[in-house]
Amino acid sequence: MIKTIKASKSEKILFIFLICLSIFAFTSFFLLKNKCLFVEKNNLSKLNFNDPDNIAVMNVECGNVIIEFYPEISPKAVERFKILIEKKMYDGSAFYKVSENTFVQAGDIEYGNINNLDYSKIGSGKSGLGLLKSELTNDFKFTEGSVGFARATEFDTEDSEFFITLKEIPIYQGEYTPIGKVVYGLDILNKIKTGNKAIYVLRPDYIKTFRMFNSN
Amino acid sequence: MKILFLFILIFHISHVNADEIYNLIKIPNLEIYKLKNDNNIRYLSAKGNFKIGVNKNISCDKVNIDNLNSKFPLIEKNLNRYNSNFLNKIKLKYIVFCENLFISEINTGGIPDNKNRTLILDINFNKKYFERMIHHEIFHMIQNIYVEYFDEGKFSSLNQTSFNYAECSTCSDRLNLDLYEKTDGFLTEYSKSIPSEDMAEIFSFLMTDKETIKDKINSDKILSNKVNFIKFNLAKIDKNIL
Repeated sequence: MIKTIKASKSEKILFIFLICLSIFAFTSFFLLKNKCLFVEKNNLSKLNFNDPDNIAVMNVECGNVIIEFYPEISPKAVERFKILIEKKMYDGSAFYKVSENTFVQAGDIEYGNINNLDYSKIGSGKSGLGLLKSELTNDFKFTEGSVGFARATEFDTEDSEFFITLKEIPIYQGEYTPIGKVVYGLDILNKIKTGNKAIYVLRPDYIKTFRMFNSN
Repeated sequence: MKILFLFILIFHISHVNADEIYNLIKIPNLEIYKLKNDNNIRYLSAKGNFKIGVNKNISCDKVNIDNLNSKFPLIEKNLNRYNSNFLNKIKLKYIVFCENLFISEINTGGIPDNKNRTLILDINFNKKYFERMIHHEIFHMIQNIYVEYFDEGKFSSLNQTSFNYAECSTCSDRLNLDLYEKTDGFLTEYSKSIPSEDMAEIFSFLMTDKETIKDKINSDKILSNKVNFIKFNLAKIDKNIL
């Protein structure tokens, strides 16, 4: 005959603790894995802008990033940006260059699309629309959320790549063509996958869609 | 093959910090030392050792900030002699300070890089020649941009026909930077290495010790012609530099 042994009080407490711990670990694993969990979503239907023609919506994994363009500062760059958006050429563009809490960069149309990433050539891709002259100004400060046109080492090589600063970067003042600023969704950009202190990001996050606000 | 390439890529990229300054001038481990200056030059300092260039053949160590603070006024005084317009023309915007600068294991005072608009300076370079070294390296930036003005063939033809420069600046033992008592067409032993170093030596003396040059050219026709060559062509770029 099998004799049943009653668990002591301390054993019961330990058992309950282990159950609680496993539930906590299980839920944490799934909740924390979702990097977008605590990111505020920007509901477009609730947003209004004075100049909606110069507002664009970049949709990434964690939500919508709303960008206001400054055509009065850099008319050619903004015009190019709008063309690329209207042609949906930024859709699928990877954030292949990311420096944690510093900047994110995307927009290589040719070699930086998530469906056709070419790490041997990334950063050198062309949009097919030609190069632009740099539109530099010492009056624009690259503060948190500034959007700038990326370029090669030389000036006047802007094409389609852009970066967004995640902190103030005073050294960029007068170095890059300013395009605009993020008005909503900076916390979303902070969730974009980094390269863990490396220049390039392997298996990067990417732009799902990039549209003008009016077209949404 | 793709996996091998990916592996090499990961290995290569994992050693470089992708900060905002690296993104701009392709030198890692830098921080801002002084940003706002009348001639728009920007000073950066090495917060860590760095290696750059082909096969990482350029190396330099981080700066001791007290060391830099003590030397900075002298450096700034010399660089303030160039106006922003001139600096734009010769593509110089960033001065990078570090210590113990080496290129291909040869100790050097400065390395100019017009492409990235940068001049790397070793703040531990010999005190005696330090100021002159700054202008010497700046001349290399001038010459890199205005190759046609500072044509080495034309300049070399000012020497005695029997004289030959070395094949390269470091492949001769003509390295001494002290001013010759009797110049004979050359200010220093290093001037005899290659034409561009000869020109850079003249320029550096013109910037730091004009009186000595005046004195030397009175009795040295060849040197006088060389000095005039530098002055004449420099005036095409900016009349007020010398």
